[in-house]
Amino acid sequence: MTLMSMIAAEFAKLARSLSWTVVVLLPAAMVLAGALSSLVAGQQPADGWHTVWLRSVVFYGLFPLAIGVAVLGSLVWRAEHRGGNWNALMSTPVSSLRLVAAKTAVIAALAMAMQLVMLLCVTVAGKAVFALPGMLPARYLLISGVIMLATVPLAALQSGLSMLLRSFAAPVAVAFLGAGASTVLLLAEIGPIVFLSPYALATRATQLGTGTFADGGEIAGATVGSLLAATALLSLVTIAGAAAILDRRDTRT
Amino acid sequence: MSSYIVTTDHLTKRYGERAVVEDLNLRVPEGCVYGFLGPNGSGKSTTMKMLLSLIRPSSGQVRVLGEPMTRATRRRLLGRIGSLIESPPGYGHLTGAENIGLVRRMLDLEQRQIDLAVRTVRMQDQMDKKVREYSLGMKQRLGIAMALARQPKLLILDEPTNGLDPAGIEEIRRLLRHLADGGVTVMVSSHLLGEIDKTATTLGILAGGRLLFQGTRAELFAAATPDVLIGTADPQRAQALLSGQHDARIDEGLLRLCGLSPDATAQVVSHLVRAGLGIYEVRRQEQSLEDVFMDLTGGGGL
Repeated sequence: MTLMSMIAAEFAKLARSLSWTVVVLLPAAMVLAGALSSLVAGQQPADGWHTVWLRSVVFYGLFPLAIGVAVLGSLVWRAEHRGGNWNALMSTPVSSLRLVAAKTAVIAALAMAMQLVMLLCVTVAGKAVFALPGMLPARYLLISGVIMLATVPLAALQSGLSMLLRSFAAPVAVAFLGAGASTVLLLAEIGPIVFLSPYALATRATQLGTGTFADGGEIAGATVGSLLAATALLSLVTIAGAAAILDRRDTRT
Repeated sequence: MSSYIVTTDHLTKRYGERAVVEDLNLRVPEGCVYGFLGPNGSGKSTTMKMLLSLIRPSSGQVRVLGEPMTRATRRRLLGRIGSLIESPPGYGHLTGAENIGLVRRMLDLEQRQIDLAVRTVRMQDQMDKKVREYSLGMKQRLGIAMALARQPKLLILDEPTNGLDPAGIEEIRRLLRHLADGGVTVMVSSHLLGEIDKTATTLGILAGGRLLFQGTRAELFAAATPDVLIGTADPQRAQALLSGQHDARIDEGLLRLCGLSPDATAQVVSHLVRAGLGIYEVRRQEQSLEDVFMDLTGGGGL
């Protein structure tokens, strides 16, 4: 049994799932809120696309992104905690590592889809609401690519939490606290936190190229490099850790 | 011995000080229907979970299909074991077909195997409905189909008749017999003897986490000696004559003696005859398996 057929099975479980609603509504609401704050102030975005991006994506990265991924994680795991599903899942010949990796892949894919919706909504807001000249600059596509990758460790962590906790809300609460603490540490310009906290990593990625918080405003190769290194490291550690826990864990009695 | 598909040695599960399963030595012969009986809370589910390595034993060993069942071996072994533990599985927001399609994908099975499993539980006309809309009996049958799809050597079913109506129970019985005829070893638990009495070829009786009996139905009858009933002209005097040697009670005008061997029965009768008592009848009471079960488990059935 391959990892791909496992991932395919996980995607099949998302049919008619509430997850897709979250994927569309959360970024749309973020962009709408950002656009409204400009409209209420009665001004055009001062720096054009940059301002629209700042008001939607950077704010989204402070904590809504973590909460969104946490909700997706709980939605994806919720069905496994119901009825006899947990026993059935743990009685298949699928290894714990494959199972954890497949769940992470699905949650990460949903998180990435949120970023794509975000891109679409920012573009629509820029053109339709503010009639900005030109298209969304290509640098934001690059930044989006980095954000999408940087949400993988967050997906892995929230998947692990929702695997361990039957409660829907508890992993979301953890995400809220984790994102809050990480934002404080980023404000204090403690850069290496991205190597320890998936929340900090995702938040830091949304600030890339914006000059906010610790960001210099440029898309520096070194910054992108360290974000991608942190992504690889945290993904591996989190997925391996969750698989090891699942392998040792007994089913509830 | 290699003819056992499941063996456990001194299998024990403790939670803190409390032993839920204690010193269990199961021997499940290959190709049998093994009825695993015991009152609710006697440790049947815990034992079955240990057989599948869903929980790890505190001490003791499990061997399944000739190999030790541990966290290291379970993923390999589980491909040949179908199971249904506690409540039936199924994703409510998906249809029956979508649910069993997940099993097909995850286990890399062929559609032919899926169709066969679905037909075996006679669910082929229900597969387009969402599982949320299924009755409990349909959910149980889908769960069994999911367990069967991998064409297991061993099928472990925990109370599969729970919540089913008599027709549903009869259908599960027929299914188990059919599977056993096809060479699948079936281990099935129940707290009601009547539900698996006629299906099981081997019985294991559990109470308070300990195995009280294991063997065939005939062996179970033999193990529990039926009471001797004696009809006599003067039961009170007969009781007085036997007092001190035997525990004799008067039951509806008959003298009832428990646990009497054939030799002891002969002695009792000759003693009463010598004392000049008229003996009208001496017989063993017909025992139902239910009585034996209740005796063994101390009346702890449901």
